[in-house]
Amino acid sequence: MKALTANRLIDGEVVFWLDGRWVERFADAQLFADDDAAGPAAVETGLAQSTVIVEPYLIDVVPAPGGWAPVSYRERLRALGPTNEPTHGKQAEGGAGIEAILAATGAARSTGRVDLIRRK
Amino acid sequence: MYRYDAIDKEFLADRAAEFRGQVARRLSGEITEDQFKPLRLMNGLYLQLHAYMLRIAIPYGSLDSRQMRRMAHIARVYDKGYGHFTTRQNLQLHWIKLGQVPDILDLLAEVDLHAIQTSGNCIRNVTADPYAGATAEEIDDPRVWSEVIRQWSTVHPEFSYLPRKFKFAVTAAAKDRTAARVHDIGLVLRRARDGSLGFEVIVGGGQGRTPYVGPTIREHLPVDSLLSYLQAILRVYNRHGRRDNKYKARIKILVASLGAAEFARQVEEEWGRIDSPQADLPDTELARIRGAFTPLAFEALPARSDAFESAKAASPSLARFARNNVKPHKKSGYGIVEISLKAHGATPGDASADQMDLVADLAERYSLDDIRVTHEQNLVLPHVKLDDLPAVHAALAEAGLATPNIGLISDIIACPGLDYCALANARAIPIAQAIAQRFEDADRAELIGELKIKISGCINACGHHHVGNIGILGVDKKGEEFYQLSLGGSGQEDASLAQILGPGMSAERVPDAIETLVDTYLSVRQGEERFLDTVRRVGMAPFKEAVYADAH
Repeated sequence: MKALTANRLIDGEVVFWLDGRWVERFADAQLFADDDAAGPAAVETGLAQSTVIVEPYLIDVVPAPGGWAPVSYRERLRALGPTNEPTHGKQAEGGAGIEAILAATGAARSTGRVDLIRRK
Repeated sequence: MYRYDAIDKEFLADRAAEFRGQVARRLSGEITEDQFKPLRLMNGLYLQLHAYMLRIAIPYGSLDSRQMRRMAHIARVYDKGYGHFTTRQNLQLHWIKLGQVPDILDLLAEVDLHAIQTSGNCIRNVTADPYAGATAEEIDDPRVWSEVIRQWSTVHPEFSYLPRKFKFAVTAAAKDRTAARVHDIGLVLRRARDGSLGFEVIVGGGQGRTPYVGPTIREHLPVDSLLSYLQAILRVYNRHGRRDNKYKARIKILVASLGAAEFARQVEEEWGRIDSPQADLPDTELARIRGAFTPLAFEALPARSDAFESAKAASPSLARFARNNVKPHKKSGYGIVEISLKAHGATPGDASADQMDLVADLAERYSLDDIRVTHEQNLVLPHVKLDDLPAVHAALAEAGLATPNIGLISDIIACPGLDYCALANARAIPIAQAIAQRFEDADRAELIGELKIKISGCINACGHHHVGNIGILGVDKKGEEFYQLSLGGSGQEDASLAQILGPGMSAERVPDAIETLVDTYLSVRQGEERFLDTVRRVGMAPFKEAVYADAH
């Protein structure tokens, strides 16, 4: 599965796509099947919203105990916050969605990350 | 210290106002992200994983209490109440909101601070000896020459779009506290036999994916020819630097491909074409800048402070702090105090706004209003009376700033790594925390002695892993963090590049591996040998064998 992420222009906050709007929690993100054309279409919509967000890209997500989690470690950190300051970033809020990401094991490169590097 | 004049202040205010307009146009959609990105980077503003990051230049790592308090205020009001001091003697704020940056730049400009040239392919903030003006080792004050370079290189039209970023280090002491040999240009002030002052000019050092210890291209450049000679170096680089390939664009690649002798020949040839009187600094201007660094009002004090000696005798913790964190000052009765930002388990280089305020208070009261940042991510109170050391130590201890570990195994350099940085492949901070906690025993740390561990979260090497006695590089192995250890590096006057020890390992294994390296060192060291000396004497084999014994 995939989710669409970006950083919000005004403050850099990590955001995720949910049915036409940008939300702050990964747990609220809309998930697309890998072959669902709605995913790339949402990227196009995001690219047109350049006064709202910066650099939208799809990330790979996988089932985790109690929910879903980004497959790559980097994207997990974006969805959580820095590990050296557990009270900073999204993780401070806690809850089931955060717990699911924290419980995720293993990691692989996200195709989104590769695309991002290529674009840069 | 150097004070901005009316023209400098007006320029900074104008730049802040200009950026306010640029941000407004970006938010309204008048300019695109592609158009805006280079403009924000010219003001030190990056977009990282969780937020924007603002990199504030601290010229040659030197600041006063007013500036430190202002940075603390900004950290408190506009960030999460802390700042991160970097290996380039700068301050980074990691939770910045774009919409508030214009206000932050205004606040910085009011105290002669800014974020100009902290990003981009230009001449960056000059690194200088953090003990400048305080150590007896120096033959001149490197801040004078750093300030000359700062003024010359600030918005220099010819050198604002170099093939790649460009970093200077300036020192005037035999003991190098600037990593001069791994900078694009390292300048080491020396006095010739005839007494004349000159620079040893080292060009083409650097770290990153292709590390080099820079060669010396001129043993003794007369100081009054500095700017014309630098101009010649940068012209040769501007002409031949590889703009076609970002990974080959640094001057180190050019120097290595031409060879140091040929590069030096081209520089000398170019230098011969430059109108030196026009390019070099007029004596009057040098005198004006030097005037900003006149010796401070030191008191005539005895070399021994009875108050300090008796306090030390009564307090083992003060004695330990004095052994490790207090360095000799050029004036009798004074000491240079290093403030470790490496409390065990803390993030290397981080200081809370309250800690920054405390350091400002202590500087104002006890250190002639002078504060330095070291490239090893610590702070310095350069001029503390020995009589005042017990009070300074007590105040630092209360704020968690008296960790007595300067130069020891837990005084670790670490870049922000994957916890913050958009370029990183792996985390660096938790590795540093785990190692520091493992070696929390202060007696053992002193027994081990000088050991510099440096950790980078990617090959760009902001954490200086190539010049670590033990270097640790974080890599991405199929999406997972892995760490590659290397040994035998030094960023000091005896500069050398660390050699890779063997296959990478998981984060959990790193503290054990460090422990094994240390045990191996302790078992084979001779006399007063530092870890680095032992590695150089016995080579990698015993260390490699010990760390990878289980793998056989």
